[in-house]
Amino acid sequence: MGLKVLPPTLRKNNRYLTVDIKSVHPMGKDEFVSVVWDACVRFQGEIESSNFNLWVMRFYELEKCDGYYNYKSIVRCQRGYDEEVRSSLALVNRYKNDKISISTIGLSGTINASHRFI
Amino acid sequence: MPNNKVSTMFFDLNVKGSSFEDNLILAKQASRYGWEHINFSYNQKDFLNALNFKKELIQELEEDISIDYTLEIKSNNINEIRKIANKFRNKSSCISVAGGDLKVNRASLENIKIDVLSRPYLRRYDSGINHVLSKEAVKNNVAIELCFKDVLKSYLAHRAKVIANFKDIYTLYRKYDFPLVLSSGAESIFDIKTTHDFIAFFKQTGLSDLEISNSFNVSSNILEFNKNRDEMILKGVRRIKDGS
Repeated sequence: MGLKVLPPTLRKNNRYLTVDIKSVHPMGKDEFVSVVWDACVRFQGEIESSNFNLWVMRFYELEKCDGYYNYKSIVRCQRGYDEEVRSSLALVNRYKNDKISISTIGLSGTINASHRFI
Repeated sequence: MPNNKVSTMFFDLNVKGSSFEDNLILAKQASRYGWEHINFSYNQKDFLNALNFKKELIQELEEDISIDYTLEIKSNNINEIRKIANKFRNKSSCISVAGGDLKVNRASLENIKIDVLSRPYLRRYDSGINHVLSKEAVKNNVAIELCFKDVLKSYLAHRAKVIANFKDIYTLYRKYDFPLVLSSGAESIFDIKTTHDFIAFFKQTGLSDLEISNSFNVSSNILEFNKNRDEMILKGVRRIKDGS
């Protein structure tokens, strides 16, 4: 049996970043998860990244265009750390020796609300 | 409670220019990501060729984003830099000089006809700027440009050193208050980020909201100043046309 759910006052407050991914190399959700963690740990360090409460909630594959694969994703982070996460993701430049670009195109308080950026 | 938020126009003075089609793609992507004005930069060899399709490009992008050209002088010869700056002054809305060499850094900051010293820390172990050069920058109103691309394209120890150079420049900026310009230096659509990402990155390196907002204003002021440069008689004295 799992742990009992925390009362609302003790829960962490989350923010959901909608990110736009352009990658020359195709990628799946699991690979994106490792890219996100790697970016945050590299730029912010291990101790700071531990505060982020990172989780990839959704991952959407869009149509391929102009020689690159296009994806969108919803990434959860803790409230107050959204700037740290988005700056880390913006600095991702290479994935499997090919070009990649990750830009945050929306920030919301709920997953439902972040769907309007998809 | 008063609203202290300053409304900012998002200007990028250094997006690498290439062919008409590539510029179009870059500008449309920049517009989608929230930029309001971008300057395509060309070196002294390509600048005149690029002027041929400037009007067409402006017309094509009229509804999306405003664009202009920056002349980026790349030379280690200070006499050549001076000559090129004089030659292109009336043709370009912004003249920047690629820094890195100490002599080039100094010559650029002492030349009132140059608008921007771009990346003074390039290929150096220090920031390329000291208190003497900072005073020259203030005196001649030459902005110092920091490029997001230099951090994006580097990694690990080298990236840390570039950010350390940024921080050294911030210290001098806070003391001497020279014009500071932040730019993306984007070469392809993979290098263009949303304006919020751009701001978030520079906030992480230690700049405040107001300082970032000021840097966009500096970019805007450079373009505005150069529109009226012909009418400028002395510093602070401008010939105005009679309204009647």
